[in-house]
Amino acid sequence: MDLDEFRTTLDAWLTDHEAELAPAPEAHDTLDAQMAQLSKVKRLAHDAGWMRWGWPERVGGLGGSALLRAYLGEALTVRDLVEPGIYSMTEVLAPTMIDYAQPELAAAMVPRLLQGEETWCQGFSEPGTGSNLAALSCRAVPSEHGWRVTGQKLWTSLAQYAQRCVLLTRTGTVESAHRGITALFVDMDSPGITVRPIQTMHGVEEFSEVFFDDVEVPLERMLGREGQGWSVAMDLLPYERSTALWHRAAYLHRRLQRLLDSAPAGALDPTVVAETTQLVYAFRARSRATQHRLARGETLGPETSIDKVLMASAEQAVFELVGDGLAVGVMTGDDLENRRWRSEALYARAATIYGGSAEIQRNVIARRLLDLGKDT
Amino acid sequence: MDAGDLELFERSLRAATQRHRGAELDAALAELGWTELLAEEPPAAITTLFELQGAANTTSASLTRVLEESLGVGPVPVLWPALGSADPPGCLRDSSVVIHGLIAGAPDAGSYLVVINTGQGTSAVEVPAGALTARPVHGMDPWLGVVEITGRLNSGAASGSVPDDGGPVDWPAARALAQLALGHELVGASRQMLELARAHALERVQFDRPIASFQAVRHRLADTLVAVETASAALDAAWEDGSEVSAGMAKALAGRGARTAARHCQQVLAGIGFTTEHVLHRYVRRVLVLDQLFGSTRSLTRALGEELLRSGRLPPLLAL
Repeated sequence: MDLDEFRTTLDAWLTDHEAELAPAPEAHDTLDAQMAQLSKVKRLAHDAGWMRWGWPERVGGLGGSALLRAYLGEALTVRDLVEPGIYSMTEVLAPTMIDYAQPELAAAMVPRLLQGEETWCQGFSEPGTGSNLAALSCRAVPSEHGWRVTGQKLWTSLAQYAQRCVLLTRTGTVESAHRGITALFVDMDSPGITVRPIQTMHGVEEFSEVFFDDVEVPLERMLGREGQGWSVAMDLLPYERSTALWHRAAYLHRRLQRLLDSAPAGALDPTVVAETTQLVYAFRARSRATQHRLARGETLGPETSIDKVLMASAEQAVFELVGDGLAVGVMTGDDLENRRWRSEALYARAATIYGGSAEIQRNVIARRLLDLGKDT
Repeated sequence: MDAGDLELFERSLRAATQRHRGAELDAALAELGWTELLAEEPPAAITTLFELQGAANTTSASLTRVLEESLGVGPVPVLWPALGSADPPGCLRDSSVVIHGLIAGAPDAGSYLVVINTGQGTSAVEVPAGALTARPVHGMDPWLGVVEITGRLNSGAASGSVPDDGGPVDWPAARALAQLALGHELVGASRQMLELARAHALERVQFDRPIASFQAVRHRLADTLVAVETASAALDAAWEDGSEVSAGMAKALAGRGARTAARHCQQVLAGIGFTTEHVLHRYVRRVLVLDQLFGSTRSLTRALGEELLRSGRLPPLLAL
């Protein structure tokens, strides 16, 4: 199926099934409701085949270009059917499984993610390991049937909903840095795992602390080889900055349009509105080019740091504008619509922090794209 | 032209832009077949040449050729808008046509094609050079070689010659092409400023190490690359969607990006970059003036914002 045909037939299906797919009025109000809506939409889209296009047949997909997945997420986002942040976890974690899990494991697990039956999380950051990922210390030691994991993860998005976790563990010495890391695919109901959700500033328990106490992980759950965890992580990160960002750009466009529809006359400064529109357009243009590179089979790398920097600038510009244009609602409104604006406006503040902070992205750009050598 | 041909062509263009300027470069471009390519494949011709022209800090009459091609009027040089403006250089006022524009690369022109805003639309008239006042501009960027053209004509002249088909002149389409061309020239100049600053940062040693090792310097250069790539992506997308609004947004982003690049690169080049012994100042001057041609970042942004608030509609979503 080519993109044009996919676009036309998917758009028609979305229109025909509008009522079934539609979120409840309060679907944006809590993370529980957002997760329920996401799971419903993924199930319906999977049953109708849409969710399977763009994924390889060996994991239950129907094949075709990755552009089909990009368009599906965009179409669901512009119709306000899914929250793009939680939707895009699929785009980040499924490719990792396909590339690194044993084929039988990928074939068994990826369909559960695509059909909305399961949620997966990504256990990377730790209390002592934020930007400096290579210093992680959550330890895995060989056990009778595989690995035994002990340690702690932090900022693990959606951990309290997740059935599985893509986990980075320290299997070498701490001094081995990025060479001594191994990736595991862990069942979240394994004995010894404790999840403590953390309330964020935008009023959502989006991420958690996750504790591992002698958690047994079978050998066949290793992703890649022992010591290959850094490659798993480095290959995963560009996915965070490709299709997921394309969906985010569609979301920003929709919310900016909504702001234009809602702001009282005189509340918006024309120059700032236009600067924000230009930035969203440029972010989308950049992300579009990345999508096409991905679809051509090119390997994405450090240049996606530019996409991430641009995304954060665009998102913060949009919600700065929301804070001005809808000031009364955002500051004092307590109805559903204003609670949503407020939550989104606060969440935008994290855009320069998560997924590699703005500073880390600039370090990557300086080192890898501008070839400026080591920093001090 | 396939990818291989284009690469070869680009190599010849690069050599020409590095070696020549002004009339010499025009002659070289004619010999290389750039004008034919402009007629056949405007995007390929414009993107390649203008990025190189910006990178080499050289000049040619190519922007005027782009306008002639778009309006279908060659070989009469088409007058550019006045500095800072994106409006036609001619305007009907009372019973006169008031003309205020710029031109480059047409030193011996016998006449100019002047696009006129008539109030009802746009038309064009060929005006003898002798009827107008020409002032060679020294200004901020003396190497740009532009000439300011002013004059006032009896309005009867405004009904004069129009392009071949005799129809109204599509000024917005011509302006959009010029904006894209200038956008690419700004991007080319920005990339070159970044390269100059990068080379300096790696060479210049302070506190016993290259200044490229300091995060403050690295982040300035990283921000410059982001600004340049932002503009470049917007330009590519504007070609893709072909709308005049997108061309205006891309020009504004390229102008803003170039000013960001000039600011950061000048700071990294510091003392030497503030002298005429280093070439940076030529680029800084050039981008400040290019930003003002066919609509500045500020004026294009302001106009877009007013239109967005009036219509209440964002430009359509760029398609995958």
